[in-house]
Amino acid sequence: MAASSFPLPDTDWDATRAFWAGAERGELVIPRCGGCAAYQWYPAPACKACGGKQFSWTAVSGRGRLFSWAVVRHGFLKPFAKKVPYVTGLVTLEEAPAVRLVTNLVDCEADGLQVDMPVRVVFRPLVFPDTERQVMAPMFTPASEPVAGKERNARDV
Amino acid sequence: MGAYESDWGHASRFEPVGGEIAVVGIGEAEHSKASGRTTHEIAAQAIERAIADAGLEPTDIDGLMYSGGMSEQFDEEAFHAHFGTRHSMFVSKQGGGMAWAGSAPYIAARAIRAGKARHVLNVFSVAWATQRSSMLGGPGAFHAAEPFKFNLELPFGWFPQPVYFATITRRHMHEFGTTPEQLGAIAVACRRHANLTPSAIMRSKTLTLEDYLSRPMLVDPLRVEDCCLISDGGAAYVMSSLERARDLAQPPIVVAGVGEGYSDSGTHWSQQRAFTSTPQVFSAPPAFAMAGLEPKDVDVLTLYDPFTIVALMQIEDMGFCKKGEAGAFVEGRTLHHDGGVLPYNTHGGLLSHAYVLGIAHVVEVVRQLRGQAAAQVPGARVGVYGGYTGHMATTLILRRL
Repeated sequence: MAASSFPLPDTDWDATRAFWAGAERGELVIPRCGGCAAYQWYPAPACKACGGKQFSWTAVSGRGRLFSWAVVRHGFLKPFAKKVPYVTGLVTLEEAPAVRLVTNLVDCEADGLQVDMPVRVVFRPLVFPDTERQVMAPMFTPASEPVAGKERNARDV
Repeated sequence: MGAYESDWGHASRFEPVGGEIAVVGIGEAEHSKASGRTTHEIAAQAIERAIADAGLEPTDIDGLMYSGGMSEQFDEEAFHAHFGTRHSMFVSKQGGGMAWAGSAPYIAARAIRAGKARHVLNVFSVAWATQRSSMLGGPGAFHAAEPFKFNLELPFGWFPQPVYFATITRRHMHEFGTTPEQLGAIAVACRRHANLTPSAIMRSKTLTLEDYLSRPMLVDPLRVEDCCLISDGGAAYVMSSLERARDLAQPPIVVAGVGEGYSDSGTHWSQQRAFTSTPQVFSAPPAFAMAGLEPKDVDVLTLYDPFTIVALMQIEDMGFCKKGEAGAFVEGRTLHHDGGVLPYNTHGGLLSHAYVLGIAHVVEVVRQLRGQAAAQVPGARVGVYGGYTGHMATTLILRRL
C-alpha cells in the first residue's frame, strides 16, 4: 500500500487478489463454498453457512439489483475531490442476493436511479490524479427489467 | 429476556447488576472546535470536575476505565502523573466513550461487587478538531486501516462514515417511507436543546426545519446538519456502590440496567444482514428486563447520534415505536424537552452539543435525573443512554432513587 497508489486497492492482497484479477479479465468472480455452494462476501477463511474452508472463485452473470446508493458531493479525501459528485453504493447479485458489492454507478444520471432497479456490470478503470497505475474494477449501470416470472437470462445484459 | 441471537447479531449475556451501583459524580471539560489542547489536558479537566462533583479526592478513585482502542487516552499512568498519586487501581480498557460509555457501568459494578474498587471513574476525551488535517487523521482513520474496507470500499469512494450512513438512509427511506422532514425533526430538536445548553458548541446557532430543508446535500440524502460535529472535548463520571453513594455529595443516580448487542458483520456495514437496523435490537431488551422497566417508562433519552439516521434507527430498535415507524414518530415536537413524548438528546447530542463520542450523553442523563439540566425535563425519573459503535450497541438505564 505505497502512498503513491492510494486509494487504489492492493491487488496483491491474498484475500481479494482473485477479485481484481477477474476484473482485469472482464469477469466478476465471487468466492463460493465447495461444501454448500453458498457465495461468501466478504471473503473469509470459513463459510458462514456451513463452516467449509474450500472456496472457488466463481464467475457470476454480473446482473443484479441496486440495493442503495449515495451521491457524494464533498471530496472527503483529496483523490476524490475532482470526482464529485459521484455515485457510490451497493449492488446485490442475481445469483446471490445476500452478496452486496460496493461499487460505483456509471453511465447514468443519479436522478434516474431507483432502489432495487436492475443493473449490470461494466468494467472500468479506477483512475486517480496522483496514482501511477490504474486498476480495472466492476462497476454497474442500469439495465432493462428482466422478463417477469422467468429466470433472468442473457438478454438483460 | 427475549432472543439473544438472530441471523445477524447477538446480545451479551450480562448478570443482573441493577441497583448495585450509582453514578455519583459527573464532569465535563470545555467542548470546542480546534483548541490546541491535548486529549490528556481535556481528560484531566473533566476528571477534576467529576471527582469534585462527587465530593471525593483523587486518592479515593481506585478504578479507572477508558477506551483502550483509542489513541492517547487518559490511562493509569496519566492519572498518577496528573494528580501526584501512586495508589493501585483497578483498570479496564473496556470503558470510555461510544458504546462503552454505556457498558462501563456493568464492568464497574462487577469490579465493585468483587471488591476490586470502591470508586470507579470512566473517562473519555478527544481532540479530533485540533488533530484533523484530513479525514484520515480523524474519525475515518479506523475504517481506512481495515483491509476489506481499504480494498473493496474505499477505491469506489464508499468512505468515510457520511457515505456509509447516506446509503443506509436511502434504503431506510425506501423500505419505510422515511422523509427528509423526519430526519430534519431530529436535527432541529438537537439544535433547539443545544441553544439552551451553555456547554454546547452550537449554542448560538439556531436551526429551523425550513433552514434544514434549504441546506445543500453533503452526501445525498444527508445534509451537513444530519452529521455530527468534529470537536475537542470530553467528560468523565464516577461510579460507586449504592451504599457508599448515599453518603456522597450528590443524589445517587442508580444504574438500573445495562445491555450490550453486536452485529455479526462487525463494522462492515455494507454486509450487515439487517441493513437498516442497529444492534440495539439485541442490547435494549435485556437492559430493560434487568431494570424491570419498559420503553414507555423512559422520561429522557440520549442516543449516540453520529447521523440523524442512527438516532432514528435506534429509536425503533430500542422499542420506542415499531420498526419502520420512527420517521412518523419523531415528527413535530415528540423529541423536545418541553412537552415532547420522548425528550431526546436534551444537551444537543453529537449533532449540536459536541462530538465527544457519547460520554457527555451519559453526563446529560445524570444531570436530567438530578434535575440540574439546562433543558430540563420536569420530574425526570428514568433516563436512558443508547450507545452505538457500528458493530456494537449498548443500553444504559439510569433512574433516580
